[in-house]
Amino acid sequence: MRGSRFFPLVSATLLACGEPIRGVVMDDPEPAPALTLTAFDGTRFALENEKGKLVLLYFGYTHCPDVCPTTMGDWARAKRALGERAERVRFVFVSMDPDRDTPELALGYARQFDAAFLGLSGTTEEIEALKKAWSIAAYPEGDPRSRDYTVAHPAHTFVVDRQGRLRVLFPPGVRGEELAADLRKLL
Amino acid sequence: MRNWQRIFGSCCSALVVACGARQDAAPPGSVITVRDAWARSADSGAMTAVYFTLANTGEISDTLAAVASPDAELTEMHISTQHGGMMHMSPVTSLPVPAVDSVMFRPLGAHVMLTRVRKPLAVGDSVSLHLTFVSGQAVEVRAGVRQP
Repeated sequence: MRGSRFFPLVSATLLACGEPIRGVVMDDPEPAPALTLTAFDGTRFALENEKGKLVLLYFGYTHCPDVCPTTMGDWARAKRALGERAERVRFVFVSMDPDRDTPELALGYARQFDAAFLGLSGTTEEIEALKKAWSIAAYPEGDPRSRDYTVAHPAHTFVVDRQGRLRVLFPPGVRGEELAADLRKLL
Repeated sequence: MRNWQRIFGSCCSALVVACGARQDAAPPGSVITVRDAWARSADSGAMTAVYFTLANTGEISDTLAAVASPDAELTEMHISTQHGGMMHMSPVTSLPVPAVDSVMFRPLGAHVMLTRVRKPLAVGDSVSLHLTFVSGQAVEVRAGVRQP
């Protein structure tokens, strides 16, 4: 089965006292893999330069009509709920569909949900290298000859903590206010 | 509640027949209504999804057999599923609507997928859907557009 190999490495635990975080929390978080891509506006995003902030990553595609916009909508509500504290959080959408998603499309897509969201894409080679580094899978489904194919992609929101460690995987369906409450525990 | 509805419905049917009502005036076996319909905003040519709740207040199950929309080049039923840490989306050719029950089309589940919408869909706009059921019923739906 193709999927993320992160899952055998983690367990659903409490991060700290109080309400449990709704996602899967790494028992022994390790440094997140590298992620470096150039946004449409020319800025170079490098995950390693984001230490000190929480970074939310979602690996989806802009033609996704259901799960990706649902997740992005929850991110947007979470950001609003965080208020000023959201300045310490980066929200980054990364396309897993480089054939259709140009950097321009990816950035425009992310900004539909919030002007501060970053949307990234890259060349096929860059995205393949990223998938390998992150041990994630993404692949077209349906008729490959059709331009309307869908893309199987990681379900979870990946959270990199302020020390640059992969810390939490939030499943889809965590509502914005719930996500904000959990992010406050990580800030 | 459902038993009560069934009993009440049966009593009403019996009463109508006892009073000599015309056979074609009897309520159909399945009675489908749609509520809470909405669509995600989308740029022209993009994909988007429509969600709603199907309620069958009749005493016989029915099946949603076809969906169509004049507002997109392609209209299909799809369902999102998660397994192995991956999200998948698969086309669905039909969807049962049990008697005296309801089925929700909702985010992260069943939805009507509109491919290549013919116009930008902004908040305040609406899209039209035509739902056809195995029983022969057809239901027209207008779904208001919401933020993504």
